[in-house]
Amino acid sequence: MNLTNNILYDMIYHSTPILLAVLGGLFAHKANVLNIGLEGMMLMGAFSSALAVMITGSLWIGLLISVLLTLILGWIFALLSVKFKSNFIITGFGINLFVTALSAFVLKYLKIANINVSSTVSVSDLKIHIPIIKDIPIIGSLLSGHTAITYTAFLLIIVVSIVLYDTKFGVYVRVVGENEEAAKSVGINVNAIKYAAVLIGAALCALAGMELSVERLALFTNGMTAGRGFIAIAAIYCGRGEPLKCSLYAILFGLAKSLAINLALFAGPVSGLFEMVPYLTIVVVLLVVSVIQNRNNNLRGFKLE
Amino acid sequence: MKKKNEILSNIYSILIPIIIALFVGGIIIAAIGENPFLTYQIMIQKSLFSVKGILKTLHFASPLILTGLAIAITFKANIFNMGVEGAAVLGGFFAGVVGFSIKGINPVLHIMLCLLTGMIVGMVFTLIPAVLKAYFKVNEMVVTLMLNYVVVEVVKYLAQGVFKDPASGYVATYAINDSAMFNKILNSDLTMFFFLALIVFAILYVIFKKSKLGFEITAIGKNPEFSEATGMKVAKKIIFIMLISGAVSGLAGAGYLMSEKYRFTLDFSGSPGLGWDGMLIALLGNHNPIGVLIAAVFYAALKTGSEYIGLFTNVPKDIVGVIQGILILCLSVRFVKQNSGLFDKLTGIFKPGSRKTKSNEC
Repeated sequence: MNLTNNILYDMIYHSTPILLAVLGGLFAHKANVLNIGLEGMMLMGAFSSALAVMITGSLWIGLLISVLLTLILGWIFALLSVKFKSNFIITGFGINLFVTALSAFVLKYLKIANINVSSTVSVSDLKIHIPIIKDIPIIGSLLSGHTAITYTAFLLIIVVSIVLYDTKFGVYVRVVGENEEAAKSVGINVNAIKYAAVLIGAALCALAGMELSVERLALFTNGMTAGRGFIAIAAIYCGRGEPLKCSLYAILFGLAKSLAINLALFAGPVSGLFEMVPYLTIVVVLLVVSVIQNRNNNLRGFKLE
Repeated sequence: MKKKNEILSNIYSILIPIIIALFVGGIIIAAIGENPFLTYQIMIQKSLFSVKGILKTLHFASPLILTGLAIAITFKANIFNMGVEGAAVLGGFFAGVVGFSIKGINPVLHIMLCLLTGMIVGMVFTLIPAVLKAYFKVNEMVVTLMLNYVVVEVVKYLAQGVFKDPASGYVATYAINDSAMFNKILNSDLTMFFFLALIVFAILYVIFKKSKLGFEITAIGKNPEFSEATGMKVAKKIIFIMLISGAVSGLAGAGYLMSEKYRFTLDFSGSPGLGWDGMLIALLGNHNPIGVLIAAVFYAALKTGSEYIGLFTNVPKDIVGVIQGILILCLSVRFVKQNSGLFDKLTGIFKPGSRKTKSNEC
């Protein structure tokens, strides 16, 4: 059925930015830094890649510049929250507001409503169609026809799992998160690990942003990310920082969005309400996960977090 | 002596971020080829140095005082209620619905009804994350953020469908009836809403500083497990605090609709939004009612001034948003702690006598 194919295809399409942000934010979560600025970094990635492609006309330079600028943003976040020990929730929000305002400012200054790079980049060219698989009915829509970054994202799930659990760096990250004092006593440079965790998150968010704006739509508008960074944070909470579980939640949220978009065609006038289905799904999932996680908890006291 | 040091440290902690933010903003303005001093001069001159400007600033500060207070209450208890924005928008929307649906009743009664609707809607909206947090331990920050987006969609749907005003060209609801509007005083922009905001501020000030609830808020903020151990029912208190916050936010939205906008449009909350401005104001004011009041007036002055810079220079209005973001970034760090060397140096400016004693001690 064409509808099923569309739903499956859109599911992969929409979960990619969230997935990349989740994978990046995982490191920060495991290192106990909680990168709230994911939304701002994704928006910065989208904005800078669109701007760079518009100015230079080359995709690769756009990618490079966008990763660079987002890394600078991540470095500011890391500096404020690790070195100066700020309240990272407020710092994260500061970054989000700053990037939103900066992109609006630059768009207004250039006197354009949105950055349109469709003359330089052809969206359909970027899709990779795998020759034999694309004809298989259901799996074909799942696997073929996506862009390079999408495939990279799904491969990254495996890579991140390996890095986090099988390499020395991954062990260091986890130790810093679980028991910072013990890590310090063994001689691990705790600050450097935290910086690295945040910067990895920033780099992956840049990729997510570029996928969102340049690769799929060749367009950038204000506030394009529409809360995807926060959805990623919710997914990280639900999955407790384990790569496979968090990725499953990210795909679940992508599925919610894809269902909302595809089924809205049948709903007629109520279709506007379908837009809120993904967000409501997240609230419900958070509730269910929290209930399941706390059902064995017989503590009398009240923990605020 | 210690209290004086604490107040000084607080003031420095706020002044230094403001200076940094204005400095970076000035660099950005200079980067696009405009004169930053001229821009700042226009902003301050138009908003604070003319009678009309001051009244406009105070008028715009009214909803900001309320949202700032709403956020300050919850942040003081370490509850990150980001739903103030959603509650304000929802409260404003439904107050508008009541405003244009009911005709021909006494103005005072109508205004009270609209404000009450706004408050109740705000309370119901904030009840959801409150219950989720108090009884199910769900992180309230993500839930309120998601609910904000839900509110945006719901309101967009309602404004385009059921409540759309067919006479207007863009998406807007009917304008509220005359009996529901706040009248302007003395040919300026000021309305009764400002004084209403001041009354709410006074009530909340008493609650914060003098009542048991204020003490409990601070206690829950600093150590919730200890508070529970001393017998406070923390879960119930959290719900109560969130309800107050929701009511105040709904009031802010309703009052804003009735004194400035008069009808609900898709950009009702402005950019970036009443709730986010409120968050910055709560941070600037250090979650303290008086600080929030001063910060709200200061921020309203910035915003009012930014309306005029488009007339005199080429700088886009959004520079205020950029400065706002940098301010929040700098405010998140407590720059000048009480015992640091920087603080001693800064206070040394005011106390020349103590320098002599320091060198004597060496």
